[in-house]
Amino acid sequence: MRNRPVLLGGILLAVLGSLCPFLWFVLTSFKSQIQVEAIPPTWWPDGSLAFYTSALIEQRLFHYIRNSVIVAGATTVVALAVATPAAYALARLRPPGKAWILVGLLCVAMFPPIVIAGPVWQILERLGGLNTHWGLVLPYVSLTLPLAIWILTAFFQELPFELEEAAQVDGCTTWQALYRVVIPLAAPGLFTTAILTFIYAWNEFFFALLILTDPERQTLPVGIALFQGEFIMPWGEIAAASVIATLPLIVIVLLFQRGIISGLSAGAVKG
Amino acid sequence: MAGLALRHIEKTFGRTRVLHDVSLEAGDGEFVVLLGPSGCGKSTLLRIIAGLEPQTRGSVNIGGLCVDTLSPSNRDIAMVFQHYALYPHMTVRENLAFGLKMRGEPKPVIEERIAETAALLEIHDLLGRKPKELSGGQQQRVAMGRAIVRKPKLFLFDEPLSNLDARLRASMRVELKKLHRRLGTTMIYVTHDQAEAMTLGHTIAVMNHGRIQQIGRPDEIYHEPVNPFVAWFIGNPPMNLFEGSYRLHQQDLELCAGDLTLRVPFQAHDLAGADSGTATLGVRPEDVTFEPPGSRHVAVSGTIDLIEHLGGDAVVYLIVKGQPLVARPSPVLREHAGDSVTAYMKKIHLFINENRIPVPSS
Repeated sequence: MRNRPVLLGGILLAVLGSLCPFLWFVLTSFKSQIQVEAIPPTWWPDGSLAFYTSALIEQRLFHYIRNSVIVAGATTVVALAVATPAAYALARLRPPGKAWILVGLLCVAMFPPIVIAGPVWQILERLGGLNTHWGLVLPYVSLTLPLAIWILTAFFQELPFELEEAAQVDGCTTWQALYRVVIPLAAPGLFTTAILTFIYAWNEFFFALLILTDPERQTLPVGIALFQGEFIMPWGEIAAASVIATLPLIVIVLLFQRGIISGLSAGAVKG
Repeated sequence: MAGLALRHIEKTFGRTRVLHDVSLEAGDGEFVVLLGPSGCGKSTLLRIIAGLEPQTRGSVNIGGLCVDTLSPSNRDIAMVFQHYALYPHMTVRENLAFGLKMRGEPKPVIEERIAETAALLEIHDLLGRKPKELSGGQQQRVAMGRAIVRKPKLFLFDEPLSNLDARLRASMRVELKKLHRRLGTTMIYVTHDQAEAMTLGHTIAVMNHGRIQQIGRPDEIYHEPVNPFVAWFIGNPPMNLFEGSYRLHQQDLELCAGDLTLRVPFQAHDLAGADSGTATLGVRPEDVTFEPPGSRHVAVSGTIDLIEHLGGDAVVYLIVKGQPLVARPSPVLREHAGDSVTAYMKKIHLFINENRIPVPSS
């Protein structure tokens, strides 16, 4: 306990360090155009909401939010729908070569995006998926599946098999046992996976830029990056839009905080 | 009508055969204990009865009906698991109701059955709680309640008391026996604890290496074990066994185990086989005394290595011509460790070729 002040100081430093950029663009978003360009820079904003109105109205931010909600939402739903049975099968049925399947999944997740960018673009072009939302959801699902399957497999493995057997003896079919006993107990794991998938799809920039060239379909990160200014970079609008883009994630994480923590620590301690 | 009949059950996992031609019957309302060391296949057998594991060969009959093709949910059985397997996200009441709800029982019936079961097991105060808010003993009661509430044709218990401390285990054992008397349902109970088996079972099936060694009443199994394994496995401390070569004489049988030679009164015509060979001779620690008994006996002299006092009686570890011999004499002896004594073996068990040979000694 002697190290407590040092520990607390360290934590504070780490938190401030990671919050710094976020803090800076929050402050910037409330500045006026003159303040943004001032040299030396001013720290404290005068509380102007001009950048917010111009981001929302002139830059059509809502339209990008709508696209992002569709893409991130669909990615999450599809990834979970595929990962849940896959992870359950890996955890319970112990297929031959299970370890290799898991390692293989991890390898897929390790490819740098630029390596697969060309093939992904070509496949989507053939399928007619360029400039469509499903064309973006498809690579997102494949890229988030490995992590989702890993987390959920670990989670299902933690659940005692006796519970499902008890449910079977109690009159459940395999599906009923999954639906009534396994899924409710695995809820923290499902939440964690859902949120991590959603955050990935919400923030992803590279593939979104590659696949969506039509401004009508672009998602938030691409939309914000391509904000049009007349003569200069619209830093103020970008900051305001970034704050708005980050808020939903913060709200989700705070709401489901307890679930996420118990999901991430699954396997560390016995529930 | 038989409560349960198993016919020629075999089970293999890959190339390993874990059950060899197991046949067993339990009469209606009978309490049958499957007893054996860990890994003997007793839990696998129970899971086959439940339908959680398919048998490789053979058939399972419950209440006169072949259930081989039925899923666990359609076999009308209830099972109490070793780790209780209570649903953690449900209250005790919901745990009890779950099986009835899955079977589509109407609400008033469910309520009535829960009330009945809660009264029987004295768990009505716990109905609103979640399993993690219960002690081990309470979880155990709820697990039993979940089985009882369904009123199944057959109860299956998979080492249900093994996670409780010794005191609680003893009291639950008594309760379980009372419960069986009240319900009168056929029960199959798996355990490796021979004290549990002896106190609970009408019939005990002793298993080892995937085979049933002996089926019988507790006293039969104790007094007339059919082979050295059963003899050694039942009883605490276990039976003394001496393995060696034997030779038949006119009036007795002489067994040489190392430096120890034992002469057992024996009539040659009792033995159909060879006049010599290898044999195992056993005597229970309870049947070893330090005062000459009236009946026929075998006397050996040795020294006391160690005495364990257990309050009412004592366990005496002797060395007899280099061989260990355990005695549990009563009344308590006056000798001390290091003393030379003469020990008298009252009731001898003899096994030749793994089979029991009756010895008319006591």
